[in-house]
Amino acid sequence: MRFYIYHRTVYLYPDLVNNSFNELRLHPLTNDFQQCKSSLISVLPSTRLREYLDLNGNLVQYFEIPTNHNKLTIEARSTVTTVSRVDFDQFPYGIQMDTLKDIEQRVNCRNYLQDSTYVELSPEAWRQAIDLQGNSNDVFQTSYQIMEFIYSNYEYCKSTTSVDTSSTTVIRDKKGVCQDFAHAALTFCRCLGIPARYVSGYFYDHTKDQSMRGSEASHAWIEVLVNGRGWFGLDPTNNRVVDETYIILGTGKDYRDVAPITGTYFGRLPTSMEVDVSVMKQED
Amino acid sequence: MITGQFLEYSTGNFFDEMFDMGTELLTRPHYEKVLKRLSALTPSEFEEKRSQAVSSFLEHGVTFTVYGDAEGTERIFPFDLIPRVIPDEEWTIIDRGLKQRILALNLFLHDIYHEGRILQDGVIPREIVETCPYFRKEIIGFDVPKDIYVHVCGSDLIRDDKGTYMVLEDNGRCPSGVSYLLENREIMKRAFPRTYQAMGVRSVEMYPELLLKTLEHLSPRQSQKPVCVLLSPGVYNSAYFEHTFLARQMGIEIVEGRDLIAIDSFVYMRTTQGLVQVDVIYRRLDDDFIDPLFFRKDSVLGVPGLMNSYLKGNVALANGVGTGLADDKVTYAYVPEMIKFYLGQDPILESVPTYLCWREKDCKFVLENLADLVVKPANESGGYGMLIGSESTKAERDEFKNRIKENPREYIAQPIISLSRHPTFCNGGVVGRHIDLRPFILYGSDMEVVPGGLTRVALKEDSLVVNSSQGGGSKDTWVLKK
Repeated sequence: MRFYIYHRTVYLYPDLVNNSFNELRLHPLTNDFQQCKSSLISVLPSTRLREYLDLNGNLVQYFEIPTNHNKLTIEARSTVTTVSRVDFDQFPYGIQMDTLKDIEQRVNCRNYLQDSTYVELSPEAWRQAIDLQGNSNDVFQTSYQIMEFIYSNYEYCKSTTSVDTSSTTVIRDKKGVCQDFAHAALTFCRCLGIPARYVSGYFYDHTKDQSMRGSEASHAWIEVLVNGRGWFGLDPTNNRVVDETYIILGTGKDYRDVAPITGTYFGRLPTSMEVDVSVMKQED
Repeated sequence: MITGQFLEYSTGNFFDEMFDMGTELLTRPHYEKVLKRLSALTPSEFEEKRSQAVSSFLEHGVTFTVYGDAEGTERIFPFDLIPRVIPDEEWTIIDRGLKQRILALNLFLHDIYHEGRILQDGVIPREIVETCPYFRKEIIGFDVPKDIYVHVCGSDLIRDDKGTYMVLEDNGRCPSGVSYLLENREIMKRAFPRTYQAMGVRSVEMYPELLLKTLEHLSPRQSQKPVCVLLSPGVYNSAYFEHTFLARQMGIEIVEGRDLIAIDSFVYMRTTQGLVQVDVIYRRLDDDFIDPLFFRKDSVLGVPGLMNSYLKGNVALANGVGTGLADDKVTYAYVPEMIKFYLGQDPILESVPTYLCWREKDCKFVLENLADLVVKPANESGGYGMLIGSESTKAERDEFKNRIKENPREYIAQPIISLSRHPTFCNGGVVGRHIDLRPFILYGSDMEVVPGGLTRVALKEDSLVVNSSQGGGSKDTWVLKK
């Protein structure tokens, strides 16, 4: 499928602010299942945009605005093509949980098995994770159960959590938005030794009644490593296995690694932050 | 199979849009269907279709004005029936490249009229900007509606002898020509209805609707249906036909300066029902003339007090004030640097190498190699006042040398690009003629490039000048679906 994504973020400040420094992770990834055909990222007030590749392999754009301003607009326009990464008749079952021990020391897994800023592994989380696993001995099956559990038992509600809410709070309160759901799912997976990483991106809501949750802003879900079969995406917010309607911006240990926009400045908190995301399907 | 009127055709030593010249003529695949249809026409059938097209232009009053011409001012824009075809893969690149370019130009204008970071960082010399006659220091610090300066852009593209698309110039003030694009399409659909259908040509008809949306997006009064008007300099302007055409297609009023009045920083239109407040003005009038209180004092075309209302945010102008800076051919030379600076990317579309006479080194080179270069004034449009070295006389070159020495900032030079050619019907036969392409880009809630454009063709043999004011004609441009 081919998508055009327009993502605009506008910060309005009550007073003039200055010395703003920001990093943007708004450039879609190119991998075996997704190709970024074009990406245009722009910032107002106009300033020089530079880029680097971070340790997670995500392309980061960054900029500075030293002078006074009271409004900051960041726009990203991307065209991306995707192919399905999973065969829905043949999920990657058959990898036993006890094989996980073999990969836990691998360099590309270790980061995704441990605590990270927003993913806190605690005895309480571990107890719940064991319960969720039940008598399943299959890696994908177990991860799927975790996703289903979160989807059916957690309440999706905005403005009850913030960008800094940790997984412990989410697991306790059982509510939040896509980011929180992803952090909770990561916690349970990692407690059980399943390498799991955070994914930031978008999805195209193909349902007739636009019933999927989280399409108005950028989205988040998780990927689990099924040993020998690769990474598979699971979206606990919508209870879906990730397919070609999802577009990945970047992956990391948790939100902190892939926040679409992150930065600092001198001045008062913004009076408003408007986010506008539209994902349009284009003819192939 | 190449038959009929194309039998004698030769591509010469040029990149030909329709044929690939190997040992024999090979039709490029995206031209096959249309060539089959054209070859089947006898010369008399072809002539009949052509005269139908001409009379249809006359009936619709599709004309333009040539300045500085003694015989009659209004003329028909010569039209060629052989369409120019662009396959999807090529169009995708053009589309992407133009969007990148207009975005960078807008960021540049925003920067220049605010902090000027690109000047502080030394990427573009400050002097270049400050000596541009279209730089409007009066609006420094002003936030234009929606932060967009160029809402309608017409960038001219050419192809060199290898078929590479290059941007020749940007028109960010009042680009014209879109009415011909739309009229040409109407005529082609009537002349070749089945071929048009069978080729899967992308439609351009939505342009007026898109343009209106682009204008409405700027309205300071979002709560009600915005009142948009088209401000024309009047019947003597070369593009007056286009002004009436677009106003009619969009269903908005066409006004002249005297139809508008500014009261208490709002702009009103005089109507038979009394004054009506205007939200957005699509002005087809240069900055210089829009407000005699603000810019040129002797302008009788503008509206006194308009700029005051604009700066108060009570009325929007499209294109914004100060965009002429982006048209300056000296600024043009720096667009690749702008794209790198603001977007952190390499330009998708190439630019033509440009020598700035303002730089001493370049100037010396230009003066020494005048015969092999095209010299253009930095701030003229319509192909006026340029020198094509290879076609000039010694006297002309000497005159230009003096002009350049007197005012180096005002002149740039480029190598003579051997423009691509396209089969064109001329003097009773099909011959190769040089062409360019002017696509139109709209920037409202997002950027949109109309799939197609005005293909201009130099009707004189071997001429490289395609401007309508210099005896050019036009063709319909067919962008194919995937």
